[in-house]
Amino acid sequence: MSGLSCTKLTLFTVAGVAIQLVGLSLFVFGFFPVKPTLPGHSGAESFRAPTCNSIRNESLNDLPPHHLTSLYKDLSGIPPAFDRLILMVIDGLPAEFVLGKDGEPPRKDLMEAMPYTQSLLGNGMAIGYHAKAAPPTVTMPRLKAMVSGAIGGFLDVALNFNTQAMVDDNLLGQFFKIGWKMVMLGDETWLKLFPGLFMRHDGVSSFFVKDTVQVDQNVSRHLGHELSRDDWNFLILHYLGLDHVGHTGGRNSALMAPKLTEMDEVVKMIHMTNILNQKNDQGQTLLVVVSDHGMTESGNHGGSSYEETDSLALFIGLKNDVSDYLSSTHNNVDQVDIAPTLALLLGVPIPKNNVGVLIPEIFGYLSEDKQLKALELNSWQLVRLLQAQIPGLSCRNHPCDGSGGDQESRVTKCYGSIERMCCCLYTNAALLKKSWMSKEVSRSNSRKDYTSTVAAYYEFLRTASEWLSRRATDKPVSLLTLGIAAMFLSCLILLSLLFHIYKEVYTREMQCPFDLKSIMQTWCLEETFILGVTLILIISMTSSSLVEEEQYIWHFMASTLHLLLLRKAIQSCVHSFSRGQNKTSGLQMSSICVLLISGRILRGWHQGGVNWTNLPDISKWLEKAGNDNVKSVQLVACLLVIALSLYALVLFGSNRNIVLVIGFSFLVSGLLVVQNILKHQDGMFASSSYSANTLVQITYAILGVSTSGTVIALPWLVPFSISETGLSHDVYMSSASSEVQNKSLLMKLRESLFLIGWAYISCWCLLQLLLQQTINSMPILLLHVQTLASMLYFSYSGLHHNQWVEVSAFYFLGMAGHFALGNSNSLATIDVAGAFIGISSHSTVLSGILMFIITYASPMLFILSMVMYISLKDTSYFVSPSDADLRQLLKMMIGFPCLLPLGLNSILLTAYTIVLVFMSNHLFVWSVFSPKYIYVCTTTICVYVGVSVIAATVTYAYLVLGLRRKKQYKLRHQQ
Amino acid sequence: MKPKKSKMGVRASSISVSTSEALVVHLTIGLGLALCFSVAHNVHFINLTSHPSQVLGLIWAFQCPTVILLYSRYRKDPERCSYWKAVGRGVLGLPAGAVVNALGAIALGAPVGIQYLPKTINWSLMMSLFTIVPAASVFGSSWTDWQRIFACTKPIDPVDFMICLPAHGVVVGAWFGAWPVPLDWERPWQEWPICVSYGAIAGYLVSLVASFGFILVRQHVKGD
Repeated sequence: MSGLSCTKLTLFTVAGVAIQLVGLSLFVFGFFPVKPTLPGHSGAESFRAPTCNSIRNESLNDLPPHHLTSLYKDLSGIPPAFDRLILMVIDGLPAEFVLGKDGEPPRKDLMEAMPYTQSLLGNGMAIGYHAKAAPPTVTMPRLKAMVSGAIGGFLDVALNFNTQAMVDDNLLGQFFKIGWKMVMLGDETWLKLFPGLFMRHDGVSSFFVKDTVQVDQNVSRHLGHELSRDDWNFLILHYLGLDHVGHTGGRNSALMAPKLTEMDEVVKMIHMTNILNQKNDQGQTLLVVVSDHGMTESGNHGGSSYEETDSLALFIGLKNDVSDYLSSTHNNVDQVDIAPTLALLLGVPIPKNNVGVLIPEIFGYLSEDKQLKALELNSWQLVRLLQAQIPGLSCRNHPCDGSGGDQESRVTKCYGSIERMCCCLYTNAALLKKSWMSKEVSRSNSRKDYTSTVAAYYEFLRTASEWLSRRATDKPVSLLTLGIAAMFLSCLILLSLLFHIYKEVYTREMQCPFDLKSIMQTWCLEETFILGVTLILIISMTSSSLVEEEQYIWHFMASTLHLLLLRKAIQSCVHSFSRGQNKTSGLQMSSICVLLISGRILRGWHQGGVNWTNLPDISKWLEKAGNDNVKSVQLVACLLVIALSLYALVLFGSNRNIVLVIGFSFLVSGLLVVQNILKHQDGMFASSSYSANTLVQITYAILGVSTSGTVIALPWLVPFSISETGLSHDVYMSSASSEVQNKSLLMKLRESLFLIGWAYISCWCLLQLLLQQTINSMPILLLHVQTLASMLYFSYSGLHHNQWVEVSAFYFLGMAGHFALGNSNSLATIDVAGAFIGISSHSTVLSGILMFIITYASPMLFILSMVMYISLKDTSYFVSPSDADLRQLLKMMIGFPCLLPLGLNSILLTAYTIVLVFMSNHLFVWSVFSPKYIYVCTTTICVYVGVSVIAATVTYAYLVLGLRRKKQYKLRHQQ
Repeated sequence: MKPKKSKMGVRASSISVSTSEALVVHLTIGLGLALCFSVAHNVHFINLTSHPSQVLGLIWAFQCPTVILLYSRYRKDPERCSYWKAVGRGVLGLPAGAVVNALGAIALGAPVGIQYLPKTINWSLMMSLFTIVPAASVFGSSWTDWQRIFACTKPIDPVDFMICLPAHGVVVGAWFGAWPVPLDWERPWQEWPICVSYGAIAGYLVSLVASFGFILVRQHVKGD
């Protein structure tokens, strides 16, 4: 029986966890790249060269709108070419439908479907581009990219999960600052992104994908009216119909050509009324037709294939004739290029986080020096962004050094690292511009110098832009592979440790003298079921709707497991019939029934999930019944939790004095919680007052002190009298005495662990009653009942090698309870309000910890209750006379309760990581799979915390008791 | 094989089932189910998806006499227990089993509500007919037999197989049938209890075939 030693096991486990942690962080940093964004909005300073010591003159930005307009005009030196803009977004239109592909014109039927647009393109009145969109090709991020020029990562979605509104610098904000009036007709995503910015709006929702007609009519119904008015400067039209056509019928749907014709009619209408017929005094109107993304053959989008990223950018109404510029192969730009182009055309600063490059042909109407000025503005903005991304970036020949004139005007070849490359290219361009400017004064301007300057600028802009956008979307494959490999390795380590423990326990039980062997041979349905559940969970993770509705799975699995355990209880009722142990199985059956009933009520408490949140549930019903009822339910739940805990303590706690002390300190904190509840009878808003905060803080303190006091002091205080071990006084040197001593140590260990476990459970429940929403106090009570009921059940089930089934049952209950408290896999259900209870000053760390405590209330409760579970399991038959030290016993005791949650969680984590990699081009990767991944990661943290608490507590109690035994032994030796 | 044979000797008092008889029973029940669906479809012009509670009601009402009358023939202890007593036990077992099934389904998450009440009642009556009723007719109140079949899953003679396998099949089928409910396919059959009933019936039919197979194999082994 060569078992791993206790120390070795611990070391292996710690190593496994460490490898997992490293792998997880590698993966997270690889999959969700973080890029620093610049806060605030571009103002007048963007028209000056970037300085190294960035002194901001904020006062300029507070100017009234019309001043700001003229200020921008003066500073930039480029008069805005237009003062009205119509942005027509056609959702999901691939540029191929309008511009063709690889120099070929589009398909004939599509050409014929858009006669007016094609004629505009043909006679040079419009210029169209293939604007490459960055993944994820979903509407909201793409709209953001178009108006801000930035490519956002996932983490900035996750970190702003409560506000959908766009806070980064963007074109709409800039327009708003210069006093533009904006009108929006179409997809209501715009309203979510820019609340309060629109003078008039009519949002349509894209909920009914089958509707391809009405959704666009709702946009067009106001169009004629809006076009005839002149009180707006910026009109957004967002047509969803074409995307819906794609989703229902695919790219080659029969409805596609009519839909294109409809869009063509809109373009024609706008062009006829507003661009051809405009009087000069009314200002100039620009029509930009864009699409946010393309679509695949089957009409889906979200990924990064050419069909999906091929979106359109079509400029109509430019002053110059652009037909000679446009060659069909040279019309590829990036979607982000739209933002700086529009900013410079309309005379506002380029948004701060823009990574786009202005589109050259559009500015053909400007004189050469102004074109260079535009390029220079774009470069300045990108240099500022580069400086934010690369902290040490400062170029030697930088204009911001103030000098530069004495430097040799020499254009160098550029090579080396990306910083040096960007720096050098930028300096080259600046030098060339300078020399061109000086030459222009003296001589006639030379065409050649101008071209080379423009080329130098574009080289810099393209390099910087490519590098910046790659940083935002690039997923380093090596990092991801390394992360997954590490997680896989740690999963294997943990599982093999588990298997090892299982084998060891099994062999020990085979050796033990009891008549367990007969039962041990039977095929166990529960064990198969647990393995099956793990498989089912992994499979269900690949389905977006099962991820959204995960609460069904956990409840279904937990209840099925309980039904199987009920069946087992009935089974053992047969076996023990002759021995008169029917009381045991009766108790087991009734505790299972309690578990089932409370589990079902918990399931009905919150509907949960994402898709069917509107279905009726108990919490909605209670809230409808009024606040008073909710309050009284909360009070009842709180009192019941206290009563139940005290009952459990008195019933099982053996030592009178200790029970009294612990019970009293717990009762005090319980009454404080009740006081808290009673005090806020009148409403939620009073809770921010000072006295309430103090009360909450006192409760925290008492709970904390009594729990940690119990944990630390109890192993020292448990009576460990000589009389008990002194029974065999005369033979205590013999091996039999050693066994007795070991057994008594075990008894004491179990006794103190029971009380510590009780303190953990009760204090955690009280803390949750204080922190959770009012409506959640009943579920807390039910979870408490569930913990105690499963304790009752498992304390009677003898077999030890089946322990892993029981620990998994705890894990399942914890996850089912997690969803029963109203959590889901969307970030929207996190209770943010509770995270500020009892915190007087704003502290992100404290609120974060409270938020974690609230969200992971249930899994943590069940992991913590494992301490009590360990104390209830009868491990006495592991004590053999030969074991001089009890380390093996300690290993047996905490082996499963610690390793199983780690192992189960590592399986789920590794599997889900792999699923996420496979789903990285899925339509819902950002909305469903990535939030779920954040939850999976946090669950991992929760398991780590819980398991380390169990291991530390049990080891501490064991060490203290061992120390005391040694002392006593010495004392008696001396006597 | 030896211990089982000796047990068979002890249990000689129950009416034994020949292979052909088992085939007749299985075929009757299976064809009865098919008949129910065709009557619902061709006579009443309804199906399980459009009118779940009506069709489920039709199934259990139609199958109830067949199952009870057929299984009562194989009652245990035929000397002391008359045929009509066994029939009476089956009739009593129907509502009692329905309660057990309904409670099980609700514990696993079946919706509770007035609008679901007729569906749940009809569904659980159907489930009861396939799980509890045959055992009630055959075993009556013999507690050890019930435990042997349902808690330990240890069928011994052909009648045990005819009770045990279909009962387990119907439950397992219903369990798997519940899986599509939370998916967002927006199909009408994802409602409670439609896909659960489909799963249960599919499981029942499969396990009917399986139990007949078992009986056939055992008879063959015995013949050797």
